Amino acid sequence: MTKPVTIGLLNLRRVFRDRTNIFFVILLPLLMVFTTGLMFGQDSSRLGVTGAAEGPLAERLVASLEGTEHATVERVGSEEALRDLVERGAVDAGLIVPEGYDERVREGDAEVSVLSRPDDWGALNLTTWVRSMVSQEATLLGAARFAEAESGGDFDTRLDDAENADIPGIEVAAVTTGESVFPEDVSQYALAAPPILLLFTFLTSLTTAIGIVQTRQSGIARRMYSTPTGVGTIVFGEALGRFVITLTQALLILFGSALLFGVVWGDLVATAAVLTAFCLVGSGAAMLLGSVFKTEGSAVSAALGIGLAAAAAGGTMVPLDAFSGVVRAAAYVTPHAWGYEAFSEIVRHGGGIIDVLPQIAVLLGYAAVLFGLGAWRLQKVITR
Amino acid sequence: MPFLEVEGISKSYGSTKVVDNVSFSIAEGETYGLLGPNGAGKTTTISIIVGILQRDSGSIRINGKEHSVTDKASKAHIGFVPQQLAVYPDLSAVDNLRFFARLYGLSRADARRRSEEVLEVIGLSDRAGETVSAFSGGMARRLNIGIGLLNRPGLLILDEPTVGVDPQSRNAIFENVKKQTGEGVAVLYTTHYMEEAERLCDRVGVIDGGQIKAEGTQRELVSAVGEDDTIVLRMDGGRESAIRTLEALPETKQVSGEGSEITMLVADARAVLPQVLDSLTQTGTVLRSVEVREPDLEAVFLHLTGKALRD
Repeated sequence: MTKPVTIGLLNLRRVFRDRTNIFFVILLPLLMVFTTGLMFGQDSSRLGVTGAAEGPLAERLVASLEGTEHATVERVGSEEALRDLVERGAVDAGLIVPEGYDERVREGDAEVSVLSRPDDWGALNLTTWVRSMVSQEATLLGAARFAEAESGGDFDTRLDDAENADIPGIEVAAVTTGESVFPEDVSQYALAAPPILLLFTFLTSLTTAIGIVQTRQSGIARRMYSTPTGVGTIVFGEALGRFVITLTQALLILFGSALLFGVVWGDLVATAAVLTAFCLVGSGAAMLLGSVFKTEGSAVSAALGIGLAAAAAGGTMVPLDAFSGVVRAAAYVTPHAWGYEAFSEIVRHGGGIIDVLPQIAVLLGYAAVLFGLGAWRLQKVITR
Repeated sequence: MPFLEVEGISKSYGSTKVVDNVSFSIAEGETYGLLGPNGAGKTTTISIIVGILQRDSGSIRINGKEHSVTDKASKAHIGFVPQQLAVYPDLSAVDNLRFFARLYGLSRADARRRSEEVLEVIGLSDRAGETVSAFSGGMARRLNIGIGLLNRPGLLILDEPTVGVDPQSRNAIFENVKKQTGEGVAVLYTTHYMEEAERLCDRVGVIDGGQIKAEGTQRELVSAVGEDDTIVLRMDGGRESAIRTLEALPETKQVSGEGSEITMLVADARAVLPQVLDSLTQTGTVLRSVEVREPDLEAVFLHLTGKALRD
């Protein structure tokens, strides 16, 4: 075992001797965990409001919006300033309470406007909520106006009556079933870290194919074979090198995210098993790439192309949970989707090794095929 | 007993025979040159002997034992210096040496010790920690050779080790090779530089088209192809009497004169020269210079293959 270990460790050493690799292999993934985590953990939507000072009824509407946790309400001095905030994305949407709102309410033809950027799905959600809140307010105001018209009395008293009245209505009971895709007790970084780990370890492992191409093209592989070292030992050593590099990066991301961002990776055995299986897939793919391509340039292009395409298709760029139908089914062609699913089970839902056995089996299947092909091919190119 | 015995090895790729029934042997302390142009089959022959390429037929014995690609015991006797710079450019010289020393089966401590020794031999001790990418071409070549010396080989195989090397490094490489043969190492040296073969090799095999066309010492090869030596004499006057004197010598094959210069063809100039000088001195001829031109391996190669070495 000494010689394969010697070859494997040499590969590891060569990767981490290069300082640029330290950035791309360790720092960048952790930075990505941080930024993606921030996105997952973004605060509630922000709603800008102008016109609250138009009168007590305007103030009442704005206060009703402020009284919920659904959105953070920010009062803005003018319509122009609000428009600017919406356009810049400083707030998700803006509610304009027009001049003379109170008088118009009393006259029964009040209108408010909601500003949002086109094709902003977050704003659409917020607008729906604002529409619902305004509608509730309009119901009360309508009831007060009706009571004023039918029974006399002033509007404000009738509004108080309407507010205190016990009017039968239809309650919509929203009940959830199954597990939440993103449980609230899981930190935003724990949601971000697994896909980033999968994306980067696979990408890095593929780029280690360049080392194999260099070793072949410079004649080093054949020189190794001229020593009392069997071709099987050389191939095993190169494979071990790829695996050690990939696993090292994966562990650095794992422990780095745990230490820096408090990511809880769940069951240790299950996490280790999924991680090992996924790293084997990556290093197997690297072996195949490194033995097929003849130049470093073509190997780099293929590694980046395949690595990024598989990451995107496998749900590590846009969450796999957002995929549906054929796209989701197709995602499972990639090892990333299986890794993502396994980590989701472990990290989000507290799954153990038994829960992720199917995913591990699939990943090991990928690894066996890729390693088999890569080893066979590399052996051939060294000895021919 | 020869340290390396090659008998009738052949190798084909498809219908193309790149090595065709090649046989030769090398004794301990002997340098054997494979001289031939690019594409002659030198590197393929070497790859088979080193054990990185399977032969189709023939046999190879190293130190009396049959050798094959899977024979690790025989490989332990071979030091291989490929034509390519087969070193890691991003590692230091000493790291490269230690890595290959480990592949030769040396323990960690032995690998460290042997690497230091080899660095001394190749004159890179003071640059041991520098990455190879910072080396000149000549230094990298020396390191390339150094790796081949790690296992104290009985057979050192060098495949065109001086390609792209400056004259100073080339001399250093020659000195290294001579030092190895002085220590009893059998050396197989391929080159397409005639001067190198003439300077380094005890015996030469002329290879072309995958076949050894002839082999022997330079002298034997020249004799075998029947080329004559030339003696050029320059003198102050008395040319005609000198020509007559020289024509009378039994070893003379041809004499001709032009201006103050006489050119004579003989079978072995070195043997005849004392007699030539004696005869001319007796006739009172005053010689200004004497030049001996022996047929070189270039001429031999041309004679054997009908083409120049660098064609």
